[in-house]
Amino acid sequence: MKRNLTTAIEKWVAGGLKFVGQLSILSLPEGGYELRHAEDADKPDLDTFHSPSKARSISFFDNAGEYRPLKTAPNLQHGWRLVLKDAAELRAALDHFYPAMTAVWLSHLENALTPVALRDTLNRQTGMYAATKRLQDEEGQELVGRACAASSCTKRILWNFGPNQPLTTLEADKLPPAPHNESKPPSQMPLLCHEACNILVAACREVVKKRERAAGPPPDPSAAHPTPHPTPHAAS
Amino acid sequence: MSSKPDSALIIVGHGSTVNPDSSAPTFDHAEVILQSGAFGEVHCAFWKEEPSLRQVLHMVDRDDVYIVPNFISEGYFTRTVIPRELELEGPVTQKNGKHLKYCEPVGNHERMGELLLKRASEVAPGVDPADCSLLIVGHGTNLNDNSAFAAKREVDRIRELGIYGEVFNTYMEEAPLINEWDSYTTRPNVVVVPFFIADGLHSYQDIPVLLGIEQETGTAASQREIFRQNPYVLRGRTLYYASAIGTEPAFAELILAQTALFDAQTSTHTASV
Repeated sequence: MKRNLTTAIEKWVAGGLKFVGQLSILSLPEGGYELRHAEDADKPDLDTFHSPSKARSISFFDNAGEYRPLKTAPNLQHGWRLVLKDAAELRAALDHFYPAMTAVWLSHLENALTPVALRDTLNRQTGMYAATKRLQDEEGQELVGRACAASSCTKRILWNFGPNQPLTTLEADKLPPAPHNESKPPSQMPLLCHEACNILVAACREVVKKRERAAGPPPDPSAAHPTPHPTPHAAS
Repeated sequence: MSSKPDSALIIVGHGSTVNPDSSAPTFDHAEVILQSGAFGEVHCAFWKEEPSLRQVLHMVDRDDVYIVPNFISEGYFTRTVIPRELELEGPVTQKNGKHLKYCEPVGNHERMGELLLKRASEVAPGVDPADCSLLIVGHGTNLNDNSAFAAKREVDRIRELGIYGEVFNTYMEEAPLINEWDSYTTRPNVVVVPFFIADGLHSYQDIPVLLGIEQETGTAASQREIFRQNPYVLRGRTLYYASAIGTEPAFAELILAQTALFDAQTSTHTASV
């Protein structure tokens, strides 16, 4: 075992990490940790839970009870606090709230995270998503600007549109964070996106399909050399 | 069951962007396995949820990693999507210092029939199986050739046991159709077990309408207080409808069994070389 993510998280928190996404992390004086929505910092009447698996059910629904297919969407529900006995439970809870995000951050710090350009992600698709290979640059850039905006997802995007083809439609706070200062851990852990998610790939497919439906069916190759059509009486 | 404290387990599910019911059994089985201590680490990964197949390997601390698809059969996802997204080269892949072991999907395990019988028995307590028609319902259609084949294989196994009066494999979109269940069953009691990995759209919403126990497609499983009110008396029979076989808690045992099978097959292969 070359690395230990649990130990890394423990060190980050001890070194000053206070926020992950919309979560605030508190080291408890009696030991253990507490998670809550950062906007609930001063609220006294929160529902208290003690199991890291409770993070799963909290993370799946927003304030209105609607399903959250994207955990990094800025719609984490309010009104709860989760008390965790140790760093292992903290890691497990964070994996439910923000799946893979602590691990991806550690890989980033270890220079072991390789971003994959959107074009490369789309070009390897098969089946129903093979249509995404036909995404045009302009419509793709427009889609990323809309689907990956901070109002939809809080991750910062590390990937390019294509090899040597940067993204052109996102605000600066959506692009890679400044280089990390090893001596001072950040108080807010960046959520990093090193490759387009399936939600974006599916959205790319919809853009392509919508354009192609609007353009109508592809031209019939046989139309260029039409077969002589018999007259109604030719057969006889 | 042997313990592998120095190994990690990744359970791969399909997931859904529509409701949490698709991934729920995968998370549940992972929790059970983690608590059992059978593996040092247990992670889930999904095609349409997070963590994704492109993220999950970053989550794994240990170098020895078993990957088990929580799918009902071999098919497009187990043969194409999962190996492609995880960059697997075969049953064993060396990648970034990790030893990745790609196991067979859960539904392939020979104990599937045993679980189907368990679920059928539990959903119709006190009913003599001899007076009962057992229906294993799958999706059907060309897109799911392998799941239809797997359902038929399980039905053949169960039929050979001679426990139930009659046993049918039946499908949503190909003959024998599930909505015609009363035309080919002859016993007074009918037990229906969905051959699906989760109580998603098909088993929870579509099939009840096709069976006739509901008039219109209902809400998702996660949005209901209770499952179903068995038995249903309709079309002159007494019908019992089970939740999807993949929600069976013993599925966790099958996930572990697939890792043990991988080890057994690998050692056999090694010994024969």
